[in-house]
Amino acid sequence: MNIVACLHAPPPDPDGTGLGRDDIHALAQALALAEATSGQVTALLAGTSHESGPLQRALVAGAARAVRLGGEDYASVDFHTLGQALASGIKRIGADLVVAGARSDDEGLGAVPASAARHLGFAYIGNVEELAAAGPRAIEVVVRGGGRKRRLRVDLPAVIAIVPATSGLPPASDRTGNPSEVELLTLNDPETTVVRRRTELLGKPEPASRGTEEVKAASELIAALTR
Amino acid sequence: MAHTAGLTVFAVVMTERHLDEAVAARLGRAGADKVLSCEGRGLAAPPLDLTHGPALYAAVERIPPLLVLFPAGGAGPQLGPGLASRLGGAYAASADLELGEAATPLADGIGRVFVRRWRADRTSYRRLDPVELERPVVAILPAGGPPGDRGSSEVDVEVITCVPPAKVGVVEVASEVDTLAVAALASVLIVVDPALGPSALAKLSAAAPAGIAVVDAVAGAPAIATAIPRVVIAVGRASAVCGTPRSRVGAVLAAAAPRPQKGAADVLLRVPAGAPADADKMIDELAASLPALAAATGAGAAP
Repeated sequence: MNIVACLHAPPPDPDGTGLGRDDIHALAQALALAEATSGQVTALLAGTSHESGPLQRALVAGAARAVRLGGEDYASVDFHTLGQALASGIKRIGADLVVAGARSDDEGLGAVPASAARHLGFAYIGNVEELAAAGPRAIEVVVRGGGRKRRLRVDLPAVIAIVPATSGLPPASDRTGNPSEVELLTLNDPETTVVRRRTELLGKPEPASRGTEEVKAASELIAALTR
Repeated sequence: MAHTAGLTVFAVVMTERHLDEAVAARLGRAGADKVLSCEGRGLAAPPLDLTHGPALYAAVERIPPLLVLFPAGGAGPQLGPGLASRLGGAYAASADLELGEAATPLADGIGRVFVRRWRADRTSYRRLDPVELERPVVAILPAGGPPGDRGSSEVDVEVITCVPPAKVGVVEVASEVDTLAVAALASVLIVVDPALGPSALAKLSAAAPAGIAVVDAVAGAPAIATAIPRVVIAVGRASAVCGTPRSRVGAVLAAAAPRPQKGAADVLLRVPAGAPADADKMIDELAASLPALAAATGAGAAP
């Protein structure tokens, strides 16, 4: 089974994992599934060479390949454009299953996997917390919704958005992530031209005026939160 | 807000058979001007993009809308991203609505509804204007308690007959009650670090009135990820602070615990350094304050 794990370069954070918000869970699920099916994981990230840290982290954790989708500035594009670009890359790589963190983009939208699925023509399941093999062309996933916790058998190919479960990233294998092992894939032929949308560009970010107020008692905490 | 802005509210319902009149009347009283009933085999099941996405898209195409809003704890996380992708619209997984003035005057009686979408790290937000975008905005609203009566039970119902996709490619293997579903619907969420021991979770759970959900930070992680409460209180380590972008977030941390990242918490309560009894006392005080929190936020109020 060929599994592509789509990663996101998070903002610099010395205390962070170096991966997008839910990417650590997506990568862990992908690696566990690959091990169970004798498959392989290809980590994919759209970004600049300075943003390839998550790919090196994926190589250390056990990904067979790491591919950076370059040639464009993806930092300011919306989820439609990013999903289309990732789908173009995934078509070139080849995948039975695509996994991604559900809320790994900076705005926590969780819409990139759905966009990629639409451009790939793959099935899309969101908010998956467990992933298991179910034969050569299917997987089983666990999702919540409508007051039920359901185990579903999903035919491949599919795009799965992962939310945190109790599983963490497996211990690193004995290989080391060599930055030179990150492959570069550019979308520079006319058939893979990415259409830039302006959906999000008109909504300019505005600074938040949030600070942290310190209180001394539980009653003050409640009062401050509901003020 | 929609009525103030002079907009029409359509309620979209997915159902396997003919929509119960009582449901339509309830939607009318809650403020819907019209009900679109998508009827088709399999639509009564919990929603997935594969099974419900085409039906929802068919309903939305009938309108077409400026805004598509999902309630917290509903179908939004499964259906919202796919719908936004199909519509070519913007998406907000956790949003506030604002009623504002348009840059250029609109017709009398028509206001402008904006969607405020916070970044995940809560450092900034975008104000999305569906009119300016010329594309719809798909958004999930925070939990807000039971709806009040804002309309009439006399509401038009339009039926859309939905043919299920020829090949769905998904089969339910097993299903059980989701014990964490209450967290997805709660307008106040208390997230407890399991390192504090089971007694902290038990005390707060026992004291929580309706509308306030208390969950273990680790065991409840999948539900916390999709919850959109108005108020979050993280009890324990700084890493347990996990408020959603638009929530008011409180943190109750040990004296020696590292300070939460900038902007992660709005209000911080430090447990005094000293004997473990001080921490127990703080948990007891917090438990005793929960009814006041429920009253102030309207959590669990009767409809």
